[in-house]
Amino acid sequence: MIHLPRPVIGLALALMLALPGAPALANPQLQAVITENIDQIRKPSRRTVAPLVAQIAATGPEGAALLAAWADRRLGVTEDGRLLIVTGDDATDAATGAAVAGADPDMLRPNSGVRGVIESALVVSQLSDPEPRIRAAALDAIARSGTAEHLQALRDAPADPDAALQARKDRLQTLLTIQHDSDSAARVAAIEALSGDVSLDFRAALNPLLATRVMAATEPPADANIAREITPGSDALSRDAAYDLLKANGTAQPRLTLAAQRDALAANIVDGRAGGVPVADLADPAARDRAYEALEAAGTVTPAATEAEAQAAIDAHRYFEVYAEADAAVTDAARAAQTRAQVRLAAMKGIDLGLDALSLASIYFLAAIGLAVTFGVMRVINMAHGEFIMMGAYTGYVVQTLIAGRTLSLLVALPLAFAVTFLAGVVLYRLVIRHLAHRPLETLLATFGVSIALQQIAKNVFGTQARPLTSPAWLEGAITVNDVISISTIRVAIFVLALLFLGLFLFIMKRTRLGLEVRAVTQNPGMAASMGINPDRIAMMTFGLGSGIAGIAGVAIGLFAKVTSELGQDYIVQSFMTVVVGGVGTIWGTLAGAGLIGGFSKVVESLNPGNTLAAQTFMILFIIIFIQFRPRGIIPQKGRAAEA
Amino acid sequence: MTRKPFLLQNPSVLVVLGLLAAFTLAVTLLSQAYGTGLIPTSTVKILGKTLCLALAAVAMDLVWGYVGILSLGQMAFFALGGYMIGQWLMYARTETIVAASLANNPIPPTPLELQQAVANQIFGVVGSADLPLVWGLAHSLTAQLILVVAVPGLLALLFGWLAFRSRVNGVYLSILTQAMTLALALWLFQNDSGFRGNNGLSGLQNIPGLDAVGQATLSVWFLWASAAALGLGYLLAAWLVSGKFGSVIRAIRDDETRVRFLGYPVEGFKLVVFVLAAMITAIAGALYYPQAGIINPAELAPIASIYLAVWVAIGGRGRLYGAVIGAVVVSLLSSWFTGGRAPDLALPGYVVKWVDWWQVALGLSFVLVTLFAPKGISGLFDWLAGILPPRRHGRDLGPDLGALQEQEAKA
Amino acid sequence: MTRLTKLLMLTSALTLANAAWAQEGEPIRIGVLHSLSGTMAISETTLKDTVLMMVEQQNAKGGLLGRPIEAVVVDPASDWPLFAEKARELLTVSDVDAIFGCWTSVSRKSVLPVLEELNGLLFYPVQYEGEESSKNVIYTGAAPNQQAIPAVDYMMEELGVESWALLGTDYVYPRTTNNILEAYLKDKGVAAEDIFVNYTPFGHSDWSKIVADVVARGAGGKKVGVVSTINGDANVGFYKELAAAGVSADDIPVMAFSVGEEELAGLDTANLVGHLAAWNYFQTAESPENDAFIAGWKEFIGDDKRVTNDPMEATMIGFNAWVAAVEKAGTTEVDPVLEAIVGVEVPNLTGGTATVLPNHHLTKPVLIGEIREDGQFDIVSQTEPVPGDAWTDFLPESAVLDADWPGKSCGMFNTETQSCVQVQSNY
Repeated sequence: MIHLPRPVIGLALALMLALPGAPALANPQLQAVITENIDQIRKPSRRTVAPLVAQIAATGPEGAALLAAWADRRLGVTEDGRLLIVTGDDATDAATGAAVAGADPDMLRPNSGVRGVIESALVVSQLSDPEPRIRAAALDAIARSGTAEHLQALRDAPADPDAALQARKDRLQTLLTIQHDSDSAARVAAIEALSGDVSLDFRAALNPLLATRVMAATEPPADANIAREITPGSDALSRDAAYDLLKANGTAQPRLTLAAQRDALAANIVDGRAGGVPVADLADPAARDRAYEALEAAGTVTPAATEAEAQAAIDAHRYFEVYAEADAAVTDAARAAQTRAQVRLAAMKGIDLGLDALSLASIYFLAAIGLAVTFGVMRVINMAHGEFIMMGAYTGYVVQTLIAGRTLSLLVALPLAFAVTFLAGVVLYRLVIRHLAHRPLETLLATFGVSIALQQIAKNVFGTQARPLTSPAWLEGAITVNDVISISTIRVAIFVLALLFLGLFLFIMKRTRLGLEVRAVTQNPGMAASMGINPDRIAMMTFGLGSGIAGIAGVAIGLFAKVTSELGQDYIVQSFMTVVVGGVGTIWGTLAGAGLIGGFSKVVESLNPGNTLAAQTFMILFIIIFIQFRPRGIIPQKGRAAEA
Repeated sequence: MTRKPFLLQNPSVLVVLGLLAAFTLAVTLLSQAYGTGLIPTSTVKILGKTLCLALAAVAMDLVWGYVGILSLGQMAFFALGGYMIGQWLMYARTETIVAASLANNPIPPTPLELQQAVANQIFGVVGSADLPLVWGLAHSLTAQLILVVAVPGLLALLFGWLAFRSRVNGVYLSILTQAMTLALALWLFQNDSGFRGNNGLSGLQNIPGLDAVGQATLSVWFLWASAAALGLGYLLAAWLVSGKFGSVIRAIRDDETRVRFLGYPVEGFKLVVFVLAAMITAIAGALYYPQAGIINPAELAPIASIYLAVWVAIGGRGRLYGAVIGAVVVSLLSSWFTGGRAPDLALPGYVVKWVDWWQVALGLSFVLVTLFAPKGISGLFDWLAGILPPRRHGRDLGPDLGALQEQEAKA
Repeated sequence: MTRLTKLLMLTSALTLANAAWAQEGEPIRIGVLHSLSGTMAISETTLKDTVLMMVEQQNAKGGLLGRPIEAVVVDPASDWPLFAEKARELLTVSDVDAIFGCWTSVSRKSVLPVLEELNGLLFYPVQYEGEESSKNVIYTGAAPNQQAIPAVDYMMEELGVESWALLGTDYVYPRTTNNILEAYLKDKGVAAEDIFVNYTPFGHSDWSKIVADVVARGAGGKKVGVVSTINGDANVGFYKELAAAGVSADDIPVMAFSVGEEELAGLDTANLVGHLAAWNYFQTAESPENDAFIAGWKEFIGDDKRVTNDPMEATMIGFNAWVAAVEKAGTTEVDPVLEAIVGVEVPNLTGGTATVLPNHHLTKPVLIGEIREDGQFDIVSQTEPVPGDAWTDFLPESAVLDADWPGKSCGMFNTETQSCVQVQSNY
C-alpha cells in the first residue's frame, strides 16, 4: 500500500496559488460562510462538519484553497475571527487573499476524521488535477471512504494518462459499483469481474454484503433475503441463544434465574417466613424452590417459564439467517465470489504464516548460533551470551549517534559490533572460562555473574530507557506480494543475514584450517592436542567467533525491536532452547532447532490469536516434552564425542 | 562397628540449631510484640523471610551440592507453595468479608451465592467473576496445606522422572529446569489460568480469623514458624546426607555412571532427593509469602532461581550450613546496598552509588568466588579449623572430566 | 531485580525516629515510594524527582504550617512485595504523614493492606483500571471514565471506527480496561465479531503476526481502529512493525493509553505521525501554569531536553491537594486531612481545576493528542473536567457500587441493597 503524505494536498494548493496571473480575489460569499460558522470551524466534529465543508467548497477556488489549508493544518484563526492561510512565515487572508503581516493566529488542528471529510470533499476536483501525485492522493481518499458521489465522479472523470493510476481508478470504480450502484445487474457484473480475488479491498466490499443476522419466526419471512435456515442446538445457534432471541421478540417469558428467585422471595417475607418456609432455612436451594412454588401456588408471584415450556417455545419456532442486503442476486454472486477465493485465501494465509515463522526462526538462529558453537567445542553454556547480543545492539545505537547516514552507520555498525563482541568474548574466555575448563556448571554460574554485571553496567551507561536504532530507508516498509502475503523488509534482511552466516560458517568449518582444527577439538580434544593443535587457542577463537556473531545478531534484533539493557535476556532462554532442541555439534542442528521453535510458536500463535502468552507457554512445554524423547536434540552428535 | 549417634557425628548441626534458637529468642525479646520494641515489625518480617530463603537454599544445596543437579527451577516450587497457601488465605479472608456483607440481605445466601460473591470479589479485579476450577479446594485449609507439598512434589516427581529416565543431565538438565520455571511463570502470568495473572494473590499478611492479633504479633509468630521449619529442614537434610544414603548421592555427584554400574538405582536416588527438596522448598515458600503479603508470577522468573544457586555457591555448596550462610549474608547485604542507605563510595572522578553498582559488584564477586574460592564463605571455617584438602597436585579427584577438583573437595 | 533487593534495612531502621509530636520547626515528613531501580525505574524516577521539586518549591514558600517539609525517599526496586515492606517502614519507622508513590496496579495492591492497617495516606498518580476506592488512597490519575471511555468515544465519533482491536500487555490494567471497553462497545451496538482482543507478554518484540491480524480485519469492510494498552518497551517493536506494514494513522488509527512524551523518546516518530494518545495532560497544553511548571522542571532537573508528562501533573496535583488539605485541617494527622481534602480544589496544568471527590478520585479533563514528528502531541480534543468514577457503570457487578468516604464511610457501597460491601479494599 502506498500512502502519500498529507502535504501533497498542500502542494496542490501551493501550485494553485503560484499559478501566474491568478490574482487572489475577495470572495464575499466565502467570507459570509466563515463569519457564520466560525465557531464550528474552530471546533469541528466529523459528524457535523460535512455540510459546512460542502458550503465552503461551493464558494469556488478560494473555498477549495481554504479547505486544503485546513486539512493540512496550515489554517489559523485570528482573535477577530478571520481565517489565515499560513505558508512558512507568510500568511494570507483566506477570504480576501490579501497578505497579512505580523499576524499571530491560533493554528487550527482538525482531527483526522474531519480531515477525511475535507479530503473527501476535495476529491472530485482533484481527480482531474494535472499533478499525478494529487490524483493518486485523491484515489487514496476514495479508497479509504468511498461514497456514491465518488462513484459518479470516478465515472465522469477523464481517462488518466498514467496507466497505473487508470488501472487503480478502474478497480476503485468496480469496488464502488459493488457497494453503491443501484443497478443489480451492474453490481453482479462487478462482483463477477473480481471473483476469486483475495485482496483486502475486494473482501472489504463483499463482507458487508454477506453480513447476516439471525431471526426467529414461525414461517419464513417473505420479504427478507434469507441466507439459510438453522436449527437451534447447532454450532451456529445454541438453544440458549435461540431462547434469548425469543425473549427479545417478546414471544417468551424469561426463565427464573436464581437472582430473580431470591428477590421474589425477599419481597414476600411475612412474619419471618417466605412461602411458609422460615427465612433462616432459605440458605438451602431446595428450600427456596419449595418456598417459590408455594408463592406461585398462592398467586403471589408470577409463574416463571419452566424448563419444559422454554424448550417447547424454542422448538415451536424456526430460525433464519437473513442478509442485511436485500438483493438476492447480489448476495448469491458475492457468496460465490467469496467461496472461490476461500481456498486461495487459506493457502496464502498459510504462506504468510510460513514467512513469519521463517523470519522468527532466522532471528533465533542468529541469536543461538554463537551459543551452539561454544557449546559444541567446549561443552560450556555462556550465560552472558544474551549480554553480547545487547552489546551488539548498543554498538549499533552508538554508531548511529556518531554517523548520520543510516546506511553508512549500519555498514560500520555490523563489523564494529562483531569486533567489539569478539573482543569481549576473547577477554571473557581468557579471564574466566579457561580457568573453569571441564566444569560446565561452574562456568554456567560464573558467566551468569558476568551477565548481571554487564546488564547493570549497560543500565548505568545508557539508562533504562529504550534507545532508538533506526533502519535505513531501504530497509523500512514491507515486501508485499498481495494483501495477505507481506513481510517487512527488515525481516527479509535478517533472513538473508542468517543465510550469509550459515554459509560463512559452513565455509569456515569445512574449508579452512581453523575449521578443521575446531572439528578436531570438538571430536577429541586429547587426540587433537597430540596432533599439534593448541586446543586453548582453538577454544578462544571459537568463543570469540560465537560472541562476534551474537553482536551481529544484536544489531539485527535492535533494528526491528528495541534496544534496552534487557534485550539479551529476552532472547537468551530461546537461544538455549534452540541449541538444546537442535542438538549440539552441528550447525544443521541449530538450524533445525530454530526452524522447529519458530514454526511451532507461529502455528500455536495463529491457533490462539488472542493470547500470545499462551503460545509461548505451549512452546516451552513442547520443548520440555520433546527433550524427553530426543534428549540429544534433533540432530544428535554421534560417536565418542557425544559421550563426553 | 557401632556408629556414633547422628548428632555427635555432625557437631555442626548442633551449632547451627543452637545459633538459630538463640537468634529467634533474641529477636523475640527485642520485638515490638514480646519485648523491648527495638526491632520494628518490618524488620522482624524481613528476618522471618530470610529464614525461609535459607531453608530454600538448604534444599537447593541438597540437589546441587550433594547430588550434582544444578536445578535452575527451584523457585518454581517455592512459589507454588506460596500460591497454594495463598489461595486459602485469600479465599477465607474474602469469604469472611462477603459473608458479613451478605448477612445484611433479607434472605441468607445459599452456598452457591456465597461462592459466587467470593469469586466476584477475588476475580473482579482482573475482569472475571467465576471461580476457576483450580480454586475448588481453596475453602479448606487442610486441603490447601496438603497441596502445599503435594503440588510441587508431584511436579518434581513428574519432571524428575521424565528427565532422569531419559538421562538428561549436566547443562541440559539445568536448561530444562529453567524452561520448567519459565513455562510455569508464563502460565501463571495469563489471566486465564485462574491465578489472577500478573497481580497474583495479595493481602496474604492478613490471616483469616486472626484479625485481632495484629501484625506485630503475627510477624513474631511467623518468625518462630520459619525458624522451626528451618531447624527441622536442616536436621532432615543433615540426617539424609550423613548416612549411607548420603554417601551414595555424593557418589552420584562425582561419577554417576560408576554408581550405576555398581548396581545402584541412580534415577531413584536422584528422584527422591529432587522431590524431597521440592517439598522443603515449597514449605519455605508457604511460610515466606504470608510474610511478604503478595505473590505473583515475577517471583518465579528464571533469574530468581539462579540467584538461589548464587547464594549457595557463595555460601559454599556441598555443606548445608554454607547454604544457610550464603542465603542470609547475600540477601541481607543486597537489600542493604540497594536500599539506598549504603554510603556512596567516592572514587577520584566518580562517585559510586551503590544502588547502581551493587549488581555489578555482586556479579563480579560471584565470578571471583567461582574462580578463586570454590568453597565459598564456609571455606573460611575450614581455614580456621586448619582442615586442608588432600594434596593431589592439581589433578582431578575422579578419573573423569567434571569430577571434583582438589579445591572443591572437602575430604 | 528480585529477592536480593527484597530484604533488610537493619541499620537505619534501628536508628529509631523518635515519634516526638510535631513541634514548632520540626520538619513534616513525607514518603516517596517510587522504584529507582529495576524495570519500572525508567518511569518512576521522574515522579520521585517531581515530588522532590514540589517539596523544594513548597519549602521556598515557607513550608507548611510553618514547618519545613522533608522527603524520605526509599527504593522498592520494581519488586512488588518490597513495596509493602517499604510502605510499612515509611509509616512505622520514618513516621511519614503522607506517601507519594506507586506506578503499577500490582504495586498499589501490594501497599493497600499496609496502608489500611496502619492508617496511612497514599497519593497514587497514574491512570489505572478503577474498581477500587480506599479510605487511605487519593487517586490522582485517571479512572477509566476519564481516559478510556472518552478516547473510545472520540474514535467512534470523530474517526468513524467500527471494528475494534484491543491490544494490551497481559496484566490487570489492560485486562480490566478492555473488559470495560468491550462491555461499553457492545452497549453501543458493536457486534462481538467486530472486537478483537489480544494480550502479549511484557517486553514483547515479535509483532508481525499481530499487526497482520489487525490489518486483515480491514476485510470486514469496516473502519478498523486499535486501542492500545501495550505497556513500556513493547511499544517500540509494535510501532516499528506498524510503520513497516505501512499502516498510516488515516487507515488504522492507534489510540494508546500508556504512551506519553517519555515513551516516544525511544522511537523515531516520523512514521507515527497522526497516531493518538489519550491523557489528562500533554506537555503542549497551553496555560500559564503549564509554562511555569515546565520551566520549573527543566531548571530543577538541569536538563533542557527533559519532557513532562501526565503522571507528573497528577503528582503535582496530588501534592498541592495535600498541602491545601493540611492547611485547611491545621494538622498533618491522616484522619483530619482526609476529612478536609474532599472538596479541595487545586489548579491543574491545562487551564482548569481539579477537585477531590468524595470517592477519592479527581475531576480531570480528557485530552486527545496526535503524535507529532518531534515526539510531542497536538491536542485535537479537550473536554471539560470529568469526575472520576471509582466503580465503572459498564460492568454489571460494579454498576451498583458507589464510593463515598465522608458521607457513608465506605468505598464499596451497594446502592441496591443500601449496604456497605466492605470497608477495607479488595486487594
